[in-house]
Amino acid sequence: MNLMELLEIPASLFPEREILRFQGRGVTYGELQERVAKTAGALRTLGVQTGDRLAILQTNTPAVVELLYAAASLGVVFVPLNFRASREELSSMLARVEPTVVLVGDRYRSTAAELRASTLGAPVFITLDSTTGPGIAGGPQRAEMPSLGILVDQAEPAARADIDDNSLAAVLFTSGTTAGPKGVMLAHAGLTSFVLESAELCDGADRGAVLVAAPLHHVAGLTAVLAATFAGRRIVLMEQFEAEGWLRLVATEGITHVFLVPTMLKRVLDHPTFAETDLSGLQVLSYGAAPMPLAVIRRAIAALPRSVHLISAFGQTETASTVAVLGPEDHRLEGTPDDVQRHLRRLASIGRPIPDVELRILDDDGTSLPPGKVGEIAIRADRLMRGYYQQDEATQETLRDGWLRTRDLAWVDEDGYIYLAGRKGDLIIHGGENIAPAEVETVLESHPAVEEAGVFGIPDEEWGERVAAVVVPRPGAEIHPDALIDFCRQRLAGFKRPEVVFVADPSSDGLPRNTLGKLLRGELRARYAT
Amino acid sequence: MPTLLGKRFECEVCGTEVLCTKPGGGTVHCCGKEMRLKEPKPLPSAD
Repeated sequence: MNLMELLEIPASLFPEREILRFQGRGVTYGELQERVAKTAGALRTLGVQTGDRLAILQTNTPAVVELLYAAASLGVVFVPLNFRASREELSSMLARVEPTVVLVGDRYRSTAAELRASTLGAPVFITLDSTTGPGIAGGPQRAEMPSLGILVDQAEPAARADIDDNSLAAVLFTSGTTAGPKGVMLAHAGLTSFVLESAELCDGADRGAVLVAAPLHHVAGLTAVLAATFAGRRIVLMEQFEAEGWLRLVATEGITHVFLVPTMLKRVLDHPTFAETDLSGLQVLSYGAAPMPLAVIRRAIAALPRSVHLISAFGQTETASTVAVLGPEDHRLEGTPDDVQRHLRRLASIGRPIPDVELRILDDDGTSLPPGKVGEIAIRADRLMRGYYQQDEATQETLRDGWLRTRDLAWVDEDGYIYLAGRKGDLIIHGGENIAPAEVETVLESHPAVEEAGVFGIPDEEWGERVAAVVVPRPGAEIHPDALIDFCRQRLAGFKRPEVVFVADPSSDGLPRNTLGKLLRGELRARYAT
Repeated sequence: MPTLLGKRFECEVCGTEVLCTKPGGGTVHCCGKEMRLKEPKPLPSAD
């Protein structure tokens, strides 16, 4: 099945139904389909051929959704770039995928000018926002940069190309925490299989509205749009997340479903307008993409209306989104004291695997481990990536015998709940003992004076590595490193307790994290270990 | 089972899947057998 059919089928059934909304303006299925066909026509006039790559550098706007489906329709690979990436990173991504055309939002025109000057293979750069094409003022090359809007208005609709379901639909660059970004290849068959397994075709019933604040270059944003298009759930696009606007949209646009990464959820809870915002229409708040601090999710449980179902969704770009879920029932801190304790414990887990995936915990030899043992999460599913774009070595390391090695370390309890224990490369080896930094961080963050903690290894002649921690104090709190080490000694095996504790300046921006909130331990190590 | 809009049916013999885009009173068959209704498992995170 082609991704385009996720739009074509419901559009043929309910052409008048509103499906996409942006800045107060809505479009129906019929209008979206027509616009997509004309966008495909415009891309054809630019010489884009089936199998080519189409790169996009833009925030969440309807044009990006139109390009997603237009690319699918032509059998062209959709490559949305992270608009927060540095110019060097963007340049290396473009060099890797060699797009025929790069489409850029107005705000990225100066970046585009620099990229154009440095990109080999000379792709065509097209602006997405402007209705006129004034060229790039001040750019190293002053050639015209045409506007897609004008080309689309003048274009004839293009018919859908007949392509194999196993063709590539998208390359998404992952937000690496260690190495540079890798291009994850996702096929039409994998993405449509994920949608069909998790959503039901639009049947005319009210399916509510989803607020898509995750960027469309992230697998969570992309799959949210695909599934909602198929299911007939109105998509409200948010150009870029900020807490106040997000709260306003939820209250005024009849939003029923949202997805947030932990840093976004914390900003929503911290915002002064949170308490006065009507969130009674919200049915499902799912979160993921980075580990959720216990303190934040506990605050969310206490502060959100009881009718909101909280769901932890764990997945990777490489698995085309979610593979394990911690459901609403595990977010209810109610019942007997034992129930409350059990649910509190489970809040630290990522839940259990969902039905269309197989999940195993493997040791270094690839042998399945029993409950309680820390190993690497491996996943098998129809929707796994086809590999990393032009990185065969990385692909072979990651996809082995049909199983995707995630590099996420975890253990499983007797009830099948999975607990993350850090990233494989982050493991600290102290005198031959493996220590998962995430486990030590969880203990540190349970201390009342600690806002957040980052744990890493520092080289040691005697032990190989010693455990070091950086902690950020809560506002107004004071941290005494020795007392904190004692606190850990009571709660962790002796070899796991930090031997060195650095206290970060509480007025700083907190620990270094990537755009999705994942802790950059390499940066911590570079900053503190020398 | 009558075909219903938006429902998926799967052939237990050959694995063919059918998506109903116009409902009716009939049933769908493949490989000489009535096709099995395939229910999606909603993932709130995804939709």
